[in-house]
Amino acid sequence: MAEVHIVGQIVGASGFPDHSLFCKWGINTGGAWKALAGLREGQTQVDTPQQHDAAYWAHPIDIHYATKGLQGWPKIHFQVWHQDSFGRNELYGYGFCHVPTTPGMHEIECPTWRPSGSFKEQVSQYFLGGGPQLKNPDLIYSGADRYRLHTIAMGSVHVRLGVILRNFDKYGIEC
Amino acid sequence: MSQSSVFLLMVGGQIESAEGLDEGLTQVTKKSRDDRQQFVWNFPLDITFKTTNPFGWPQLIVHAYGIDAFGTDVVRGYGVTHVPITPGRHKIRIPMFVPESSSQLQKLTAWILGRRPEYVDVRVLAQGEGREVTRVRSQGFLTVSFNVVMKDMKKLGYDVIPSEMSTSVIPESVGPNSGGTTET
Repeated sequence: MAEVHIVGQIVGASGFPDHSLFCKWGINTGGAWKALAGLREGQTQVDTPQQHDAAYWAHPIDIHYATKGLQGWPKIHFQVWHQDSFGRNELYGYGFCHVPTTPGMHEIECPTWRPSGSFKEQVSQYFLGGGPQLKNPDLIYSGADRYRLHTIAMGSVHVRLGVILRNFDKYGIEC
Repeated sequence: MSQSSVFLLMVGGQIESAEGLDEGLTQVTKKSRDDRQQFVWNFPLDITFKTTNPFGWPQLIVHAYGIDAFGTDVVRGYGVTHVPITPGRHKIRIPMFVPESSSQLQKLTAWILGRRPEYVDVRVLAQGEGREVTRVRSQGFLTVSFNVVMKDMKKLGYDVIPSEMSTSVIPESVGPNSGGTTET
């Protein structure tokens, strides 16, 4: 069986309207993949940065997968949330990216988006915060039924991932 | 403002430390008086690990302490990063963060008494769990340069560099520093 180790961290996020942020993350794979060790999802700490141009979490990721097929390669998805000074949480963005398929260290910048509501909802969001969220978070990393969604771009999440592959060349896979 | 830092290399899974110190304390240094405003420790790290399974890859945890206006030692930042998984030279800029007090009153008493919030056990930073209830403030960066050498990864079947690069020279990804040192 081929194995994949993903060793790295969610470094932080930038480009958002305000940087008092935290992030819920998860790694999703297809049916042929089995997680042998490590946490597949989590939530970072809340960071209120002193220099307000980026939030930093340095959240470690260490996962070991075994697989029988290439289909359903691991995807890491994010939900970036904002926590204001009153302790209220509002959604700032969804994003996902595939874990790189080549072994080595990778710096990834994952763009995020947020669902935008009707004009009335946007006005209320401007004054009160809050805003529409996805009912089913699977839509973050799946392509089905997305055509009905209207979204607006938000900032990006920075991830530093190291990928270690094992036995892929034994099965004839070149990567 | 003077600072010192404590570091610790933490591993999990089946990895164990073979040789070298995995914990240490740097000297106390002051900020430079020029525009760069840097702290330099230039602290050497020299350690060997051995394992049969990359799960629990070593992480470097750093905490920096400084003296506040009242003369007590306070935490100035925690940082954590994985040791790079590819052999070669790497220069990593770790963001540092400080835990925040839960309320304004606590912040004031912490500032007066010099007892700021700290982690009881720093190892919790290397795990992914339990962080969701903490609130931190990120401030500053720490730069570490790693020179990583590996033995027998390919023999056990592990690929850490793309296959077409295995016979060529591994490109340098960093700037003009000498190896195996910690600096800010």
